[in-house]
Amino acid sequence: MREFNVLVVDDEQEFLDITVKRLEKRGLKVQGAESGEKALQILLHSSTDVVLLDVKMPGIDGIETLRRIRSMKPLTEVVLLTGHASVDSGIEGMKLGAFDYLMKPIELEPLLEKLADAYEKKRLHQEKIEQAEIKRNMSKPA
Amino acid sequence: METTQYKRVWLRLTGVFCLLITVPVAILVLVTTNSLRDAAINKIEVSLGRLIEHKRDVVNLFLKEKEDLLTMMVGMYPITYLGRQENLDNLFIAVNKTGSIVDLHVIDSSGKQLAYVGPYAQSLIGKNYYDAQWFQDVLINGSHVSDVFLGFRNVPHFIVAVADPLKTYVLRATINSEQFNRLLLSSQIGPHGDSFIVNREGTLQTPSRAGLSELNSEDRLLLEHHEGTTIVKRDENVVVPGDDKVVTDLGKTSIVKRGESIVATRWVKDGQWCLIVKALIEDSLGPFYKVRNNIIIVIIVTSAVFLAIAVLFANYFLQRIEKEDRNRAELGHQMVQMEKMATVGRLATGIAHEINNPLQIITSQAGWIGELLPEEEPDKVKHLEEYQKAIEQIKHHVRRAGTITHRLLGFSRKISAEKQNVHLNELIEETISFVEKEAEYNNVSIVREYTENLPGTMTDGPQLQQVFLNLINNAIDEIGQGGIIEIRTAIERNTKLVAEFADNGHGIKPENLKRIFDPFFTTKDPGKGTGLGLYISYDIVKKLGGTISVANRNSGGAVFTIVLPIINVD
Repeated sequence: MREFNVLVVDDEQEFLDITVKRLEKRGLKVQGAESGEKALQILLHSSTDVVLLDVKMPGIDGIETLRRIRSMKPLTEVVLLTGHASVDSGIEGMKLGAFDYLMKPIELEPLLEKLADAYEKKRLHQEKIEQAEIKRNMSKPA
Repeated sequence: METTQYKRVWLRLTGVFCLLITVPVAILVLVTTNSLRDAAINKIEVSLGRLIEHKRDVVNLFLKEKEDLLTMMVGMYPITYLGRQENLDNLFIAVNKTGSIVDLHVIDSSGKQLAYVGPYAQSLIGKNYYDAQWFQDVLINGSHVSDVFLGFRNVPHFIVAVADPLKTYVLRATINSEQFNRLLLSSQIGPHGDSFIVNREGTLQTPSRAGLSELNSEDRLLLEHHEGTTIVKRDENVVVPGDDKVVTDLGKTSIVKRGESIVATRWVKDGQWCLIVKALIEDSLGPFYKVRNNIIIVIIVTSAVFLAIAVLFANYFLQRIEKEDRNRAELGHQMVQMEKMATVGRLATGIAHEINNPLQIITSQAGWIGELLPEEEPDKVKHLEEYQKAIEQIKHHVRRAGTITHRLLGFSRKISAEKQNVHLNELIEETISFVEKEAEYNNVSIVREYTENLPGTMTDGPQLQQVFLNLINNAIDEIGQGGIIEIRTAIERNTKLVAEFADNGHGIKPENLKRIFDPFFTTKDPGKGTGLGLYISYDIVKKLGGTISVANRNSGGAVFTIVLPIINVD
């Protein structure tokens, strides 16, 4: 598996810790944030590829955080994860551009798969951009 | 409301209608028939008055005619002429063509009979009448008409006697009572009427048709009343009630209603005789009864019709009320059920939410252990395999719990935001194809009663299919070998689609009917059912804007009814 940067956002500290630990063990670069505000701060100064985002949180909630992430770092993919929401909020999240929507409880393997898929999408997207830039640079007269 | 209550209301309603119809009608009948009867009686009185007037004229005329005849004779012939027997014989033959005069006497002023012509010559010749009251009367007044008396011959008769102007002799005629009586024959009204003449003493002068031999006390009272005492006023022709001193006006008729009869009295023969005509009211009421019966029949028929209408109306009215009540109760029941389900749903999802997070941590931690375990030194971990097995068990049961919470929250459902035009019959047919093998295996037959050409509706096909699948599977489980599942589709009032899933199993116990849609309610063996199937079905149908209800069939088994709105393609 390719190494990529993940930001886990969840207000439940225990879940945050264990998830960070396990993902790191699988070779990912993982950061944790216990609130939406914190997550946005971290995103400002780091190159995060995928955000694993809890929908229901105190402070600014998952949906709002998602909205801000999309406007701040449009290339960063977001996977929603919650035990505290209904299908409707999942659909809403996807409409706002989330990569997918996962339900707690979820085991590590499917979670990893989903994160990898999200990263793959981001990577492909980024590649396309890079290629477009190369084309543009090449077409420019030296 | 209880059935008896409806019955009571019905009784009260029809009772009121009965009263409202029959009371005025009864009053109408009474008033009408009474006034008709009064009119009939009035008519009797009028005709009675006319009749008695006429009869008085006839009687007076008869008497006057006899008197005039005698007066004429005594005026024409002196005593010397009539005193001779042969002259009297000739005269008798000449004047008595009608036979109304039985005999003629010529009596001189001393009372001695001078001549006699008639059938009783033998016994009467030579008789002296000087002491007779009538003779004295004639000598004083010039004429006399006697009451009816038996006389010497013991035959009822009356006499008319006239003296010549100089009172030198008296001519006396005996009048045939038969002929006189005949005058009154036709003077009564009705078969039970009566008419006769009485003198002032109340002795009958003519025979009574009713066979009275003498005046009864009531009639006597009448006679006395007519003398000028008290008489009930009947019309202007009648003597006005007055005190005893008022002298009777002999020229007037008195008509008195007495019990069941009407009696008219009138003085004749200058107040010496009284003509009495009685009419039994009943006799003359024939036409009245006919009219009255017709009225009663018409009224009975019309009130029967009105009553029937009223009863029909009451029935209709009550049926409407009953239906309305039932609908309201049904609606109330549905509202209660909906509220309960909403509460239960909120509770269930709330619990599911709260459980998901701990489940996540359990599975994460277990997984963490599982990941770290292989890194331990195998020698130091005696029960490595046991630990790994335990971890798998933990994960497995978290998955199991997660499935339930996900189903409760509706996460496990296929999310299809897009609604499509669904044809009910096709969708059911497709669903049946999924379970056909299973049904066959259980020897369950599925009977389809589709209504053809149902309109399509915009709805979530896959979710609806899940509901159908659920119901059919439940039915297959319930009825077992040899059961029959009937699936019926219909359209209701062009706005709703109805799908019924009926089985011929044991039905649902009444106490379970209310709880059947509750989450975790199951009658299946532990481990066989989660009790979520019908809850989820309920939830799905509700979200699709429809209703699902359950009832036991009279023929046994249960029937689930799904009603969906028809939503047209935009």
